[in-house]
Amino acid sequence: MKYRLIRTISGRGQEPDQFTETLRGIAVDSDGRVFAVGDSAVRVFQADGRLLHTWSTSSPGYCIAIASNGHVYVGLAGQIEIYEADGTPITAWRDEQHLGLVTAIGFANTSVLAADANARCIRRLGPNGKLLNTIGDDNRRSGFLIPNGVIDFAVDRTGTIHAANPGCHRVERFAIDGTRLGHFGRFDGQDPSGFSGCCNPTNVAVDDRGRIFVTEKAGPRAKVYDSDGALLSVVADSQFELACKNMDLAVDSKGQVYVADTVKLQILVFAPQAEPAAAGNTAAPSEGDESR
Amino acid sequence: MSEGITRREAMGHAARGLAAIGLGVTAFHLIRKADGQIVWQLDHSRCVNSRLGAVGVNTCNLCTSECVVAQSAVRAVNDFSKCGRCYICPAYYNVTSAVDESGLPSEKLCPRDAITRTMIGDADPEDPANNFYEYVIDETKCDGCGKCVMGCKEPAGLGSIRLAVRHDLCVDCNRCAIAMACPDDAFTQASVAEAFERLETKGGT
Repeated sequence: MKYRLIRTISGRGQEPDQFTETLRGIAVDSDGRVFAVGDSAVRVFQADGRLLHTWSTSSPGYCIAIASNGHVYVGLAGQIEIYEADGTPITAWRDEQHLGLVTAIGFANTSVLAADANARCIRRLGPNGKLLNTIGDDNRRSGFLIPNGVIDFAVDRTGTIHAANPGCHRVERFAIDGTRLGHFGRFDGQDPSGFSGCCNPTNVAVDDRGRIFVTEKAGPRAKVYDSDGALLSVVADSQFELACKNMDLAVDSKGQVYVADTVKLQILVFAPQAEPAAAGNTAAPSEGDESR
Repeated sequence: MSEGITRREAMGHAARGLAAIGLGVTAFHLIRKADGQIVWQLDHSRCVNSRLGAVGVNTCNLCTSECVVAQSAVRAVNDFSKCGRCYICPAYYNVTSAVDESGLPSEKLCPRDAITRTMIGDADPEDPANNFYEYVIDETKCDGCGKCVMGCKEPAGLGSIRLAVRHDLCVDCNRCAIAMACPDDAFTQASVAEAFERLETKGGT
């Protein structure tokens, strides 16, 4: 499967729909609206990229997630802030001990899962923010190896957590009680099915079909694997600024992949491109195809 | 010469006084000279090998090729407070080389094999990738070529390795050959005090 760039959203600048310094997290809701957190603000875009509204967070945001009830969860240093979809504040869960630096948020049943990059683990919280258990800290190095400074994960429809462990060059799977369910991935600086550099992948997303999307840094690229860890496609690579790292990504119900370019502060949207009938793998890229 | 002080004693007092004054003046000049001495230093924010944002460019080795000191007066230094202690360090390994049978890159990056890799603590026998490693640069081998600096630079690494002028090796040329060749004006002169200040604020000279 090939992907092509169909749209860019936002960018670096001073306009209301732009970010000035950082773009750290993106999420897409069931209506195709794109929620992005960067600087100290959330910006919500329509599917076509037009700005819907924006609101400020109390401090710089590191990640964003949309719950099934439409509430928007933003991870920050020491807390999670929860908003209505229009930005109306609902509450904040403050816990500097267990939410040192929240770089990813996900949901499984009634639990809220939050990655604490300071403690290099994932916290499972109850619906009111109470700590239930910790995930990923039961190894000899007491957590994920994250030289890149963030933990990212995604939760699939079955409630399985897929977490990036970049220092080990793999994606690890966990049950919400912390049980390890396996992993896939290996280092390889030449074969695109492996993870390159010192520490990749950095970010993870899953779609409704259980496919696992990842981004890597140095050189930046987005890839998709099947649920067994076999590479399906390189979604994009040359479209990103070379200095990008920790590029958050999201997948919508149409299979479109949203990737944050952390240098240009831009969201790149890639759509799957139908393979021509009987073209096979040797078919030349079609005109206008901007992906591999 | 009266009140019991002989001429010899008076001259002795005078000599000791002059000597004390001389020592004081000498010390003053020594301190003043040290404080005001101009030395060459490397500005990491300008050097292309460590400058953030300079990605996808070739490594510059002018510090090696231009310095009049044999093997150069510039060395690579690893700031352990910033080092990620990675399993696969992009400054130690050529991370684009083929993978060997152990799953690691088959080639090292340093052409002089000046970096040593040592596992910290005990190995996890069930999970060899799940370990921290210490990377130490042997300055007797390093010639400041900058390859490891470029390899460690963000976003590939954490930027813990930088080039630094070793002032015990630098002969303080009036017209530094590296400075004249450096296209980024990263080699500049500064007083010892400024060099120390840079050491404290920017982690190296």
